[in-house]
Amino acid sequence: MVVASAPEAPSAPEALLHVKDVSKAFPGVKALDRVTLDVRPGRVHGIVGENGAGKSTLMKILSGVYEKDSGEIVFDGNVIDKISPVQSMNLGLSIIYQELNLVNTMTVGENIFLGRFAESGGRAGVHAKAKALLKSIGSKVSTYRQVSELSVSDKQMVEIAKALSFDSKLIIMDEPSSSLTADEMEKLVEIIHDLKSKGIAIIYISHKLDEIFGFCDVVTVMRDGHVIATRDVSSITRNEMISMMVGRTIENEFPPRPDSAGETILEIKSMNTRKLKDVKLTLRKGEILGLVGLVGSGRTELVRALFGADKVDKKSIHLEGKPVQINNPIDAINLGLALVPEDRKLQGLLLGFPVEQNISLAVLARLTEYGFINAKEEAKVSDRQIKALNVRTPSGKTKIRTLSGGNQQKAILGRWLEMSPKVLVLDEPTKGIDVGAKYEIYLLMKKIVEGGGAIILISSELPEVLNMSNRVYTICEGRINGEFDPVTASPDEIMAKAFEFA
Amino acid sequence: MSAATQPVGRRVSPQAAGEFLKNNPIYLAIALLVIVTSVVEPKFLTLNNFDNIVRQFGVLIFAALGMTFVIMAGFLDLSIGGIISLVAVVTVTLIDPIGQGPAILVGLAVGLACGLLNSILIIKSGALTLAESLFITFGMSLVYGAVALMYVQGVTQFLTYSETDISIFEAINSGQIGILSVATVVFLVCLAVLVVIERRTYMGRSVVLTGGNKVAARLAGIPISKTIVMIYAISGLLSAIGAVVLISRVTLADPTMGTPYMTQAILAVVVGGTALIGGRGSVLWTVLGAFLLILLNNCLNLLGVSSYVQFMIWGVVLIVVIWLDAVKEARVSS
Repeated sequence: MVVASAPEAPSAPEALLHVKDVSKAFPGVKALDRVTLDVRPGRVHGIVGENGAGKSTLMKILSGVYEKDSGEIVFDGNVIDKISPVQSMNLGLSIIYQELNLVNTMTVGENIFLGRFAESGGRAGVHAKAKALLKSIGSKVSTYRQVSELSVSDKQMVEIAKALSFDSKLIIMDEPSSSLTADEMEKLVEIIHDLKSKGIAIIYISHKLDEIFGFCDVVTVMRDGHVIATRDVSSITRNEMISMMVGRTIENEFPPRPDSAGETILEIKSMNTRKLKDVKLTLRKGEILGLVGLVGSGRTELVRALFGADKVDKKSIHLEGKPVQINNPIDAINLGLALVPEDRKLQGLLLGFPVEQNISLAVLARLTEYGFINAKEEAKVSDRQIKALNVRTPSGKTKIRTLSGGNQQKAILGRWLEMSPKVLVLDEPTKGIDVGAKYEIYLLMKKIVEGGGAIILISSELPEVLNMSNRVYTICEGRINGEFDPVTASPDEIMAKAFEFA
Repeated sequence: MSAATQPVGRRVSPQAAGEFLKNNPIYLAIALLVIVTSVVEPKFLTLNNFDNIVRQFGVLIFAALGMTFVIMAGFLDLSIGGIISLVAVVTVTLIDPIGQGPAILVGLAVGLACGLLNSILIIKSGALTLAESLFITFGMSLVYGAVALMYVQGVTQFLTYSETDISIFEAINSGQIGILSVATVVFLVCLAVLVVIERRTYMGRSVVLTGGNKVAARLAGIPISKTIVMIYAISGLLSAIGAVVLISRVTLADPTMGTPYMTQAILAVVVGGTALIGGRGSVLWTVLGAFLLILLNNCLNLLGVSSYVQFMIWGVVLIVVIWLDAVKEARVSS
């Protein structure tokens, strides 16, 4: 395997961060193997790779969370050997983690100058300085607001302002877009361009190729702890990048769209909750129905209400032409509905439990006779789904915690496929999953609807919805406000509708 | 990780056993105490002494068995002290009016009813976190304790059997079935039933799933409310059985006699290795945890440590065990 960091154009400025031959091993795994990387000021440096490629380990070494086993790191002329997270921030290296590290119960200003109140001029000084920093990145958030009240996007602004307060020369962003909506993302891109023009270097870690090609200058592809290549973004194609990431060639990001839509299977005639206002929706057999909307538009609330997971004011649901009552998830499951929830870790997985028990969950009642679970049948069910979905796990007895995100998600899908659902709801099914596993999940979706199932697909990744769905509804402020044919409608048209009141 | 979370009947490899001991160093302590005690007191490792232990500490063991399911499901039951007191006074005062057998049945029914009431309050108030269940059952503990005091006007009730020469209570305390005492047989039957529920049944699986991730379990169709009703009902019923064993031994019922057993039961469960946050544990572990506590108690008594100092030692043990539990939890999740 060629492990090379190709020198960039000679005109490139001197490297700000110089990583040379850095290795790090954990018991049983070589997380990083002689990684070499140069980051230059005023550049946006993308790092891509599947889960487990070593991106996070590298970042944690840079920020001082882990210690490297060997190799050399030079940042801004300082050799970095042993360093604490605070020291690295003081040197000018900030990391914005995916799960933002803010104190929810404190104000915006207090968060930005956390632990530095005295030297920042007390309460008045903190808020004045915080306000100026936020203004410099175009944010109008009041510094007196409590962080818990902010949207994810505003929280990210606060993190960026915090990084700037340390005079950061390098800001590392770890999958910042995973919880942002499209317009929040646009704002972030603007800020990134702005930071770049100030000469700040940015390391941008992402799964999303659109973002890499959208605003990154340089990209490093990592796989299995190795740097596969570092290239100028302008000199690499999408397919090249994907094949470097997965180590094999994937012809397309999406399989061909299914074409199996039949008659109506599910009809929501009316759905009212605190958030939803008289939502109506129809779903056909053999169809993938996309639901496009911002986070907080009511898209997740709608499917949760359908599934009986939350309190509903008034509703009328027809399944296969007959009115049905769904008051809790058990009712929904008995009627043949399945929900793969938005947050895999909090709502989907039982992390400390074996893969087998995670898969058998939805059919556990079926595996029970006179109160006793049939252990043999349970193992059979689990083995069948592990095989069918190609879940990569040492065995069914392995704790699901140890699997990668993609394999965990496949196990959750297996849980629901075992009951052959009539309607399968997928809420962000590919969030945080690498390209290879994504494709497998797309293929699976296609197979499910071609086998007579029906899918409601919610995703923040518009390309995913547009390429997989047969029909798309836009949802905005708790109402369904548009219906589109994704083959003929343009993405802009659909997004404009989804943003109508935003 | 641990061998005991897997269904019974699977072979336990030496590595798994080693790993288990590493996760639960407390068992080494038990082994040590058993060896020390049996060297000092050779009669210690006899069936007779086992019977003695079950008789003497019956209430602790029974209450701890019930508490195990509650903790495995990610909840707590602080009301068992009140339940034990209430069951004890109700049972003893009913012997004369309705006879021993019916009195015991009413006592057990009272325990079961208290447990059901706890669960209904928890479900109806939506108190689905550990902390909320803790406060609700703490409140109910005061209620049950107060009802017990009001019922007998604070007066200790003595066990009298005027109606007949044959005493069920005497039988429970000193009767034999084959080579075992009645109390021990009742204990082994309860334990066997709970082990089967825990390992083999839908109910038992629901308990650990609820403790593992309530939200995910509910979305996958596990009946969380039913599970809560079941765990508190079991906890109430087993506390009541414990109370009956207790009054059989001490031949009296005091309206505050249940108070110390709440702490001891929780201690036994946690010492045994059941995770305080739920999702992992076993009634078998709890039996070992309870025996460790009993042995410790024996040792301290042999050493002549005063009961005041013993209270402090219980507290220290609880803190150390919770600390070890946190360390283990961090290791398991990394």
